[in-house]
Amino acid sequence: MAVVESLSHSGICVHDLKQAEDFYCGILGATVHSRVNFKTQDALKGRSVHTSLMLSDYLFAIMLSEDWMSIPPMELLRGENRVRHAFCVPRKRFGEIVDSLSENKVAFEGPVTHPVSGPFGESVYFRDPTGNFLEVVWRRDEATAYSEVQALGHGGAG
Amino acid sequence: MMRSVKPPVLPIRAIAHTVIEVADMDRALAFYGERLGLRVPLESWPDGDELCLTCPSGQRLVLRQSDSPRTLPDSGVHQAYRAGPAAIGRIVQSLAADSIAVERYREDRPAEQDDNCYFSDPDGNRIQLIAQPQIAEPGLFGIDHTAVQASDMEWIEDFYGAKLGLSVEHRVGWNTADYVRARAWGEGKEDMAPGTRRWDERYRDIPGGKPGQGRRVPRPNVQVFYRMGDAVLGIFMALRHEQEPPPHQAKGTPRVAYWTDAAALDRTAEILADARIAALGPVRHGAKSPISSSLYFRDPCGNFVELCAEASS
Repeated sequence: MAVVESLSHSGICVHDLKQAEDFYCGILGATVHSRVNFKTQDALKGRSVHTSLMLSDYLFAIMLSEDWMSIPPMELLRGENRVRHAFCVPRKRFGEIVDSLSENKVAFEGPVTHPVSGPFGESVYFRDPTGNFLEVVWRRDEATAYSEVQALGHGGAG
Repeated sequence: MMRSVKPPVLPIRAIAHTVIEVADMDRALAFYGERLGLRVPLESWPDGDELCLTCPSGQRLVLRQSDSPRTLPDSGVHQAYRAGPAAIGRIVQSLAADSIAVERYREDRPAEQDDNCYFSDPDGNRIQLIAQPQIAEPGLFGIDHTAVQASDMEWIEDFYGAKLGLSVEHRVGWNTADYVRARAWGEGKEDMAPGTRRWDERYRDIPGGKPGQGRRVPRPNVQVFYRMGDAVLGIFMALRHEQEPPPHQAKGTPRVAYWTDAAALDRTAEILADARIAALGPVRHGAKSPISSSLYFRDPCGNFVELCAEASS
């Protein structure tokens, strides 16, 4: 039986690709790696419509949904029973993210402080323009080169 | 925290002229002059190989002879003219009398959603008429916008937006609403203008796949519209690869020319030189020419552009 090793990349479905690009690049600091389906060659191949973004060394794609998706009420900032992407920042830059959210009038919940016994320090929870749940967290073990996943029951608040 | 730095805005005032290719100059002259009401050729036009017709707005349509006119009739490429409702009625009647097809497609750009009329000249150059109630002239009044096609919309946005500083008025193909609407076209419920929709065969080229494995889906074709003063440029993604002119060729046809000022010509020449994009000019024209000087270049997908300065600028 194959054993998967790590997360390679992820995809986030959105309703407006331009608006999503502006959000992830302008507020979270991502850079555009590539866009698909904005060239004749892509259309001829029948490819999906998406933009690949880089956040440091993490690759994720914002995928244009070709149909309307069910979106939880926008006042719900911290999702339950739905995927949430949590991105790490160094502790010293955590405040920049909070400031960026405030400056760009992005509603958020937090910062939420996690128990000191766990690996997470603080988190903020918010949503992208489509309504996808997002989190930015700094980790208490950020100085450690490798930390094994801790046993369940650490009491993390996120 | 947007990180991009916007370049200076290129101060374009309006479309000065468009140059189209035709196989038979006399036939085209009769079509645009007698049928559509443009005025007789301007003798002081700087290029002796071209015939220049004038609109009441002062804008010009320039005809250039070509044995194989580049008209791309199945694409989104077209020229759009403003005319009064009565003039459009007369033109449509005249076309019908000669069994020339007139279509009433729908478009994606909000400003062109309704009240459109399309037909082609004898060489296949597609013409759109846009009704403006305040216009009383008996024929075409002026050029509203032009549309070209491109094989790479990222290059296009980099060139016209990041390098030349033009502002996007409208994009098509970037949001779910466009894809949902395209299904209506796929179901035969909307008659959309050529170049605005396409059938995609999803993942047609999967390695190891079988012929015909892809699922056919109706999609919006990617479009971007730039507004510059009174001018609009629409750019449609090409749905097949066409032979483009060579990158070093700065002047050619078909071509769209815009009015700007002499300083903008010099500044744009510098921008193009920095980007290693071939340009010709600014070229000074003769004293009788309606244009003082021109800068010629082509965009990254082979569309020819001209910036013109008037004698007084």
